[in-house]
Amino acid sequence: MIALGVHSHYSLRCGTASPAALCRAAARLGYRRLALTDTDNLYGLWPFLAACRREGIEPVVGAALTDPRRGSPAALCLAATDEGYRNLCRLLSRRHLHPEAFDPAREIPRFASGLVVLAGEAGLLERLHEAGVPAAAAVTPQAILRAHPLRQAARRLGAPEAAVHPAFFLSPDDHRLHRLLRAIDRRALLSRLPPEDCLPATARLLPPAELARAFAPDPALLRTAAALTAPVGFRGPRLGVVLPPRPGETAAESAAVLRREAYAGAHRRYGAELPEAAVERLEHELALIARMGYAGYFLIVRDIVALSPRTCGRGSGAASLVAYCLGITNVCPLKHNLYFERFLHPGRTDPPDIDVDFAWDERDAVIATVLERHRGRAARVANHVLFRPRLALHETARALGLGEAEIARVCRRLPDFWQEEGGEAGPPEADSAETARLPAPWPEVLGLARRLVGLPRHLSLHPGGVVITPGPITDYAPVERTAAGEPLLQWDKDGAEEAGLVKIDLLGNRSLAVIRDALAALGENAPFRDPAGGEPEEDFATQQTVAQGRTLGCFYIESPAMRLLLRKCRVGDFDHLVILSSIIRPAAGAYLREFIRRLHGGPWEPLHPLLADILAETFGLLVYQEDVARAAVALAGFSPAEADGLRKVLSKKDRARALADFARRFREGALARGLSEEQVAAVWEMMMSFDGYSFCKPHSASYARVSFQAAYLKTHHPAEFMAAVLGNGGGFYRPFAYVSEARRLGLTVLPPDVAAGGVRWSGSGRTLRAGLAAVRDLTAELPARIVARRRERPFADLEDFLARTRPTAEEVRALLDAGALDGLGGGEDRAALAFRAARLRNAPPAGAPRQRPLFAPAAAGGRIPRFPPEEPRERLRREFAALGFLCERHPMELYAAAVAAAGGRRAVELSSRIGRRVRFAGWPVTEKLVATRSGAPMAFLTFEDETGLVEATLFPEPYRRFRRLLDEERPLLLAGRVEDDWGAVTLTVETLQPLPPPPAPARRGGTAAIRA
Amino acid sequence: MERSIIHLNVADFAAAVERALDPRLAGRPLVIARPAAARATVFDMSEEAFRAGVRKGMPLALARRRCPEAQLLPPRPERYARAMRVLFETALAYSPRVETGRADGHLFLDATGTRRLLGPPMDVAWRLRREVRARLGVTPIWTLAPNKLVAKAASRLVKPEGEYIVAEGEEEAFLAPLPLELVPGVERCDLRTLGSFRLRRAGEVAALPLEALRVLCGARAGFLHEAVRGIDPSPVRAAGEPAPEIAAEERFAGDTDDEAELAAALARLAGRAGAELRRRRLTARRVRVVLHGADGAEALRRAALHPPTADDFLLRDAARRAAAAAWSRRVRLRGLALACEGLVFPPAQIELFPAAGEAGEGRARLMAAIDRVRRRFGEEALRVAAALPPETA
Repeated sequence: MIALGVHSHYSLRCGTASPAALCRAAARLGYRRLALTDTDNLYGLWPFLAACRREGIEPVVGAALTDPRRGSPAALCLAATDEGYRNLCRLLSRRHLHPEAFDPAREIPRFASGLVVLAGEAGLLERLHEAGVPAAAAVTPQAILRAHPLRQAARRLGAPEAAVHPAFFLSPDDHRLHRLLRAIDRRALLSRLPPEDCLPATARLLPPAELARAFAPDPALLRTAAALTAPVGFRGPRLGVVLPPRPGETAAESAAVLRREAYAGAHRRYGAELPEAAVERLEHELALIARMGYAGYFLIVRDIVALSPRTCGRGSGAASLVAYCLGITNVCPLKHNLYFERFLHPGRTDPPDIDVDFAWDERDAVIATVLERHRGRAARVANHVLFRPRLALHETARALGLGEAEIARVCRRLPDFWQEEGGEAGPPEADSAETARLPAPWPEVLGLARRLVGLPRHLSLHPGGVVITPGPITDYAPVERTAAGEPLLQWDKDGAEEAGLVKIDLLGNRSLAVIRDALAALGENAPFRDPAGGEPEEDFATQQTVAQGRTLGCFYIESPAMRLLLRKCRVGDFDHLVILSSIIRPAAGAYLREFIRRLHGGPWEPLHPLLADILAETFGLLVYQEDVARAAVALAGFSPAEADGLRKVLSKKDRARALADFARRFREGALARGLSEEQVAAVWEMMMSFDGYSFCKPHSASYARVSFQAAYLKTHHPAEFMAAVLGNGGGFYRPFAYVSEARRLGLTVLPPDVAAGGVRWSGSGRTLRAGLAAVRDLTAELPARIVARRRERPFADLEDFLARTRPTAEEVRALLDAGALDGLGGGEDRAALAFRAARLRNAPPAGAPRQRPLFAPAAAGGRIPRFPPEEPRERLRREFAALGFLCERHPMELYAAAVAAAGGRRAVELSSRIGRRVRFAGWPVTEKLVATRSGAPMAFLTFEDETGLVEATLFPEPYRRFRRLLDEERPLLLAGRVEDDWGAVTLTVETLQPLPPPPAPARRGGTAAIRA
Repeated sequence: MERSIIHLNVADFAAAVERALDPRLAGRPLVIARPAAARATVFDMSEEAFRAGVRKGMPLALARRRCPEAQLLPPRPERYARAMRVLFETALAYSPRVETGRADGHLFLDATGTRRLLGPPMDVAWRLRREVRARLGVTPIWTLAPNKLVAKAASRLVKPEGEYIVAEGEEEAFLAPLPLELVPGVERCDLRTLGSFRLRRAGEVAALPLEALRVLCGARAGFLHEAVRGIDPSPVRAAGEPAPEIAAEERFAGDTDDEAELAAALARLAGRAGAELRRRRLTARRVRVVLHGADGAEALRRAALHPPTADDFLLRDAARRAAAAAWSRRVRLRGLALACEGLVFPPAQIELFPAAGEAGEGRARLMAAIDRVRRRFGEEALRVAAALPPETA
């Protein structure tokens, strides 16, 4: 017996069960085959096939095709053969790409070969038969009466009639979750969800006996269903590695072109006389690339990279000398000792991937060009967006009619699990005492939301993944369309990889734009104008900047953790930076401390003589991803492919099962080679510190090069560099922190100015001018419009400015508060300017018929009245609200009296108070939440006053007590102990409170806090 | 002629009434809310609780955290309505022009021209205060001013207790130093607009010419220009003057997303409004429903009645149509208000062919019978099943 009509949770916002749960249930109920037919998609194909393998069930691949004009399911389509699978992909793609023209009765016959089609309506069945498609009738329990039009039509046409029982969940208990999903989908209140918007509680996967009972009036229907699907032999697509060839070239031709181009590039990189090592390496790589048929792929990537003058090849591809010679990457693999085998080796069955960073603002255009260049044969990779705890909670609360304000209020009090926005959610926790005390309906909200977590919600875009196929892409996979009209694969990156589709990652990188803009601002004076030439990493002053951690704003090395690490290590050369940016991976805490000790001359022994050579340059520690693989080969005799598998498993989500197997094999292999149990355990533990994300050396080296370029510009051209950082929207920090850093660098920060400034930040010499785009609450086009009008001719006065640029009232307000209109006022204060703007707006438009009201004065609005005098604090408060920072001073300066009254130290004083308890008042700059080994949340916080930055640590206990104080942007008073770790000064916080106002004469408004 | 308007205000009315009825409640913070309800909100609170941070409409759980020592009482609207009636009757002895709002402890009394009869208005106010204290055990604030706006501003100034007199001609000087938010009718958006020009006090706004104010506030300028000068010609509505509409409202115990509960409330309100219409021998052309969302937003919809009617069931059906349209957002409901508009005397001519289900002769007789039963045996004697709470229905 086979159950037809089964849907998984990939029938989005309708089905509740994962393919894995479905397969498990089907196996338990005694089904031997399972046909998964999600609504108009194959999103769940790969999890479904994997689950079927695990449960020993025969998969039948299909989809429920709906009629877009009616929205109702029209037909079930099952792929019987490879040809059927391709046709299914084509049908689904057409359903999504041309919904307005998709008529199932016309489209299905065009792609019917290899498909088993079951029509759900009499009309469709008739038209399919007219077109010669031997479709069956999909008879649901509702249509079981022999007088039903569908059954009458089937008898008339002689079409087989098969039992189809729509199933969207597993147990009756899931029905409430299903209704919640429908309510979310319909944006309705759960209590008011119209019955026609959801399915009855019986729409679940029934045990065979119950299924038989549902079709008891006509048991033949079930027999027909089994008979129809019996010959289906298709068990999932086997596409192999799908690599795009270069259009119009054979593999041999591509290989020849690649060889020519690689050598031409090598001469550009190394000069006319090639070093012998380079020739040897090139020959080795070219031979391997040609043998594996990747030449066309290399050339396609090269063609993409050529679209932008400044890119950064990242990932393991940077280990290839061919890639370096083609300009795909910019780090010499010979000089920096990068192993090609990390990227490509003969034993590898999975596709290689070359990832390239583009300037963030060029990336979309690059992707559009690639999709256009390979039109019909390329698509963007999807991202299956799941309900994260936080999203699940919000959506559930809304479906139960709770308002946003209340949701936000309650959420803040919930355990961390519910705050989770991205990344991996922990296991849903049981009701704690705190959540149990919440007022109704919150316990219900939490209960429902918990079940929602992990279900897919919708499809979005993978940030930069693109796949290119040799033939039409709809022959390989179903394709949809993004909101912007680009083709979108129905699978995410894991699905694409399992299918064998080679993904090219084209990612956005702000720092490439920062470097580009800073160099453009420098014009003639720009250093390293040839991206291949120039060696910022050789510059001594730049090395000092890096070694002292003065790297705020510099790509990849600006986070508080990295700046502290640099200060502890006190090294600023390229090779060490490559190590540092790899070893700072999340799970490596203990090894990080050991590394610093060894770096500073602490004695150490290699874990095992076999490792001594491999880990010589990294002080005997596993630092790079490939170290894991190489250690496994050296110590346990893993084959390169096997070792690579171990490396990959470590970065996967559900690794437990696979990892246990690797652990056993590693132990056996290592013991056989004479390692002791302790040595095996020590090495394995170090390997496990590659949990989550980690880096390979080629990747880190590529990035370190960009870091050095940024650090060089910051050291020698701070105004141009900081302007470029701020103009590109900052990076790790908010603009506030970069403006403070600019002031610390001795730069004068000027406010935005419609009469003088540009759209973006600009800098030269010792001054930095805020761009008009820095003003919040402006529509995106206004700054450009202002600059364009000014180019035509300067603004004569405020009225001229307003008449020619037409900002809205809110925009005028924001520009005024930011100080951008001060230059047009002729010395008048901002209230008077605001009055003039309002007066102009209320005046009749110039072109209107001149009918003067009888008693109105000639000039509407009259003279400018005298407004109460401006309070400086109020003016700064408004400036802060409009910009998110203050130009002329640090906001903490306004609290000097309060800080003094509270006995607070300045940031610069802390380094002379090592080991002592101090008070410090600062502005919160950034916060990083981490979990201790036992899972308790704690935080690393960065605070700032006018003299500098202070890195603070909140251990779990203080964090729990004070975390609610961290939500707002306001000065905080910290008390704690100053610690020194290898020269990096931090503050271990014991207590934390809002900075109390000074006790001094309480003048009205004198203590008003500036709030964002 | 010089107008003399007295504003009588019992601060924290519900809490004050409860305390008057039970002296043991004095001296401790008091919060009035329905504790049994799942999602109760604060109905009213005493001055002590207010100072501890408790506000009207706040979730009870939060109020309890802010003021854990507060005594908790369920709201008893009928008590407050009774007390309000006493307040009203006491005032009625001094003037036929007494205006009250809901049962909120506010009352305006027009004492213009009563000097020869009752003595100076100030004495009237003192006597009123004494009598209210004697009859209700609560001490009202009283203020005396030439109009309602200034009298109310003065009450806000002296709250929670005291008295204040503003004489004719002193209105503008009295308001000038006051923060704008004390001026009745000045709304939050006005405060924001004026604040951005650094205008925070009534006098600062009064210093602007009307045309300048019009530049700042547009259509609101006319009202603001007069308000900050203490100009308010609106009359005190005479007692018994019929309201232009018949309205009823209800608040749910907490808030709800249950359609059945809303339907029951609509049936109850329609019943009340229908009875009132029939008492006044009127019919309504339209029903207006306002739904109060738990997030503070309101939604208003109307439904027409053809022909105009006073029939409970037709009113109810129309109210349900309006409510279904009004409940368009995904939000729980905190309360609702129903009003009958377009009040007209019943059409003299009976419809020749009444549509099926429409109120015919029989329905009119049924309504009359229901009214008779209720007059004789009380409101609760006869109820419509649809108006019962869902769990009992």
